[in-house]
Amino acid sequence: MFLELAKRNLQRAKVRSLLAVVGILIGVMAVSAIGIFGESLKAAVAQNFEEVANELIVSPNFQEGYKYLEEKDINRIKKLPNVAEAIAIKSDSLLIETKKKKSYTVVYAMDEKDVEEMFEAEKGSIRLKSSCVVGKRLAEFAEIRVNSKITIGGREFRVAAILEDTGARFDINPNSAVILSPEDFEKVSDVGYTLLIVKADSLEKVDDVKNEIEEKINSRDEKVVVFDLKIILEGIDEAFSQINIFLMAIASVSLLVAGVSILNIMLMSTIERTKEIGIMRAIGAYRSTILKIFLMEALILGLIGSGIGSVLSVVGGYLIDLAILQDASYVFQLSTLLYITLGFCVGVFVSVVSGLYPAWKASRLEPIEALRYE
Amino acid sequence: MKVVELRNVYKIYRTEYYEVRALDGISMDVEDGEFVVIMGPSGSGKSTLLNLIGCLDKPSEGEVLINGVETSNLNDNQLTELRRDTIGFIFQTYNLILTLTALENVELPMIFRGLGREEREERAKELLRSVGLEKEMNRKPNEMSGGQQQRVAIARALANNPKILLCDEPTGNLDTKSGEQVMEIIRHQNEELGVTVILVTHDPSLAKYADRVIRLRDGKIESVEHVS
Ligand SMILES: Nc1ncnc2c1ncn2[C@@H]1O[C@H](COP(=O)(O)OP(=O)(O)OP(=O)(O)O)[C@@H](O)[C@H]1O
Ligand SMILES: [Mg+2]
Repeated sequence: MFLELAKRNLQRAKVRSLLAVVGILIGVMAVSAIGIFGESLKAAVAQNFEEVANELIVSPNFQEGYKYLEEKDINRIKKLPNVAEAIAIKSDSLLIETKKKKSYTVVYAMDEKDVEEMFEAEKGSIRLKSSCVVGKRLAEFAEIRVNSKITIGGREFRVAAILEDTGARFDINPNSAVILSPEDFEKVSDVGYTLLIVKADSLEKVDDVKNEIEEKINSRDEKVVVFDLKIILEGIDEAFSQINIFLMAIASVSLLVAGVSILNIMLMSTIERTKEIGIMRAIGAYRSTILKIFLMEALILGLIGSGIGSVLSVVGGYLIDLAILQDASYVFQLSTLLYITLGFCVGVFVSVVSGLYPAWKASRLEPIEALRYE
Repeated sequence: MKVVELRNVYKIYRTEYYEVRALDGISMDVEDGEFVVIMGPSGSGKSTLLNLIGCLDKPSEGEVLINGVETSNLNDNQLTELRRDTIGFIFQTYNLILTLTALENVELPMIFRGLGREEREERAKELLRSVGLEKEMNRKPNEMSGGQQQRVAIARALANNPKILLCDEPTGNLDTKSGEQVMEIIRHQNEELGVTVILVTHDPSLAKYADRVIRLRDGKIESVEHVS
C-alpha cells in the first residue's frame, strides 16, 4: 500500500518524476557505458599481447661477461616443469649483399617449425633448406623478392619467403632481419645462442618458471637475465584501470547532478504535500512511516532510472566501441556485467541518499503545523 | 470514568509583536460516552482546544489527560498510537488524501495499525456501507460531493474503533440535508456504540444533540450548559 501510495504520488507529478528518472538514467548510463568502453579498450590492447604474455625471454648477462647462453643451460631449461616449449635463437650481424644493396643486417638462426609457428609468410612459403626468409621491411629496403638470390656472409641463399609485418614484438623482431636454419647459420657465423624464448604452460605458471630458471641457472653466478612479458600485460592493465577510473569520475558528475535533481524534486514534493503529511500523522502514521513513504518514492525513481540506464548503457557501450574500436565484441565480457551492476547500484544509492534529506524533513513536521498548511 | 481531563490549560502564541492567548486557563472533564458540543465566536479557541485534546498540539502550560494518562509524558510514537487507536478526527475540510480512493482512505488508519489486507478491506467496506457509500467506494475524493467526502472522513475516523470522536465543524461546509446525515451518523456512534463525542460548531441548532454545551470566549470557558 505504501508502494501504491508512492507510485501514485509519482504519477501525480508525471513530468517531474520523468525528469528525475531521465537524470538518473543519464548518470547511470554515462558511468556504465564509459566503464564498458574502458574495459573494451583495455581488452583490445591486451589482446595484442595475450599470445606472448606467457613468454619469458632468457638472455645472457652481458654485465657479468656472458656473451652467449650455454647449450647445457638451454637443455636444463627445456626440461623444467611447466615449460611448454623453449626456442633457442642465435643472432649475428652479417654483411648482406643483393644486386643493388650491401649492408650489415641481423641474421637469426631458427628451426623451420619455430619460424612457421611464430610468423606468417606474406609471399612464398617458409622453407629453410639452403634457403632463407626475409623480413618485410628489409625486403622493401633492399628490393628483395621471393626466389631472389642474396649473399649472406659470403654464401648465396635463395629467398623462400617474405614475412608479414609483425608489428611491435618484445621477443625478436624479424622485420629488418633474415632468418636461416641453424645448420646454414653455422656456415656463415660462429656465434653461440643469444636468446631463449621460453613458453610457460599458462600465464599463472610464468612466475614459477621464472623462479625455477633463476634458481637452477643463476644459483652460483648471474649467468642469465630473465624477462617476463607478463609485466607488460600488467602494466597495460594498471594504466587502463587508472584511465577508466578517471573517465568514470567525470561521468559521476552527471550522477551527482541527477542526485541534486532528485533532491530538488523531493523537496518540492515535501512542501506540496505538507498537508497530506499532517493528515497521515493525525490519523496515526509514525514519523518513521512518513520517512518510509518518501524514501520509497526516491527508491522507485532510482530503480526505474537505473534500470533503464543500465539497459541503455549496454547499447551506449556497444555504440562507443563500434565507433572508436570498430569492434563491439568486447561489450560481451564479464566486466560489462560488472559495470552495469556498479552503475545500477550507484544510481539507486544516489537516489536514495538524495531522498533522505527531504524524507527526513517531511517526517520532522509537527502534525498541527502540517495540517494547517494550505 | 473521565476520558478527557484538562487541568488549567494555556495555549499562548507569541511573536515578536504580539501575544495571543488562544486558551487562557481552561479546566474541564469529559465523561465516557458523553456528547459535548463546544460553541463560541470565531477566534475564541475552539479548534485550539480540540487539537490539544487530539494530541495534535501541545499546551503551553497545564495538563491534558486522555484515559487518565498525562500526554506530556508520552513520546512522539506513543502520541501517534493514541491518535491512531483511541481518537478519531473529523475536520471541517474533510482532509482526505486526494490520491487515494474512498476505500483506501478508510483503510489507511488500519494500515498504520498493521492490519492485514483482507481484514482491513472488509472493515473499510462495512464502514463505507454504514455511511451509505457502497457505490462510491472506488471514487477519489474530488469525484464526490462535500457531504459524501465528509462521510468518507467519518468512516476513516471510525476505522480503528476510537473511544473519542473529535469533530471540528463537521457540517460547516455542508448543506442542511448533508449536514443532518452526517450528524445522524455521529449521533448513532454516540448513542448506540457509546463513543465519546466532542464537537465544535457555530451552528446553534446542533446543541440539540449534546449532553452538555460549553461556550468559549477569548480562550476562557464562558458557560457550561447541561442538556437533559
Ligand atoms: N498558529 C497560530 N499562530 C498564532 N496564532 C494562532 C495560531 N493558531 C491560532 N491562533 C490564534 O488563536 C486564537 C484561537 O484560534 P482558533 O483557531 O482556536 O479559533 P476558533 O475558535 O477555532 O475559530 P474559528 O471558529 O474561526 O475556527 C485565534 O485568535 C487565532 O488567531
Ligand atoms: Mg476553528
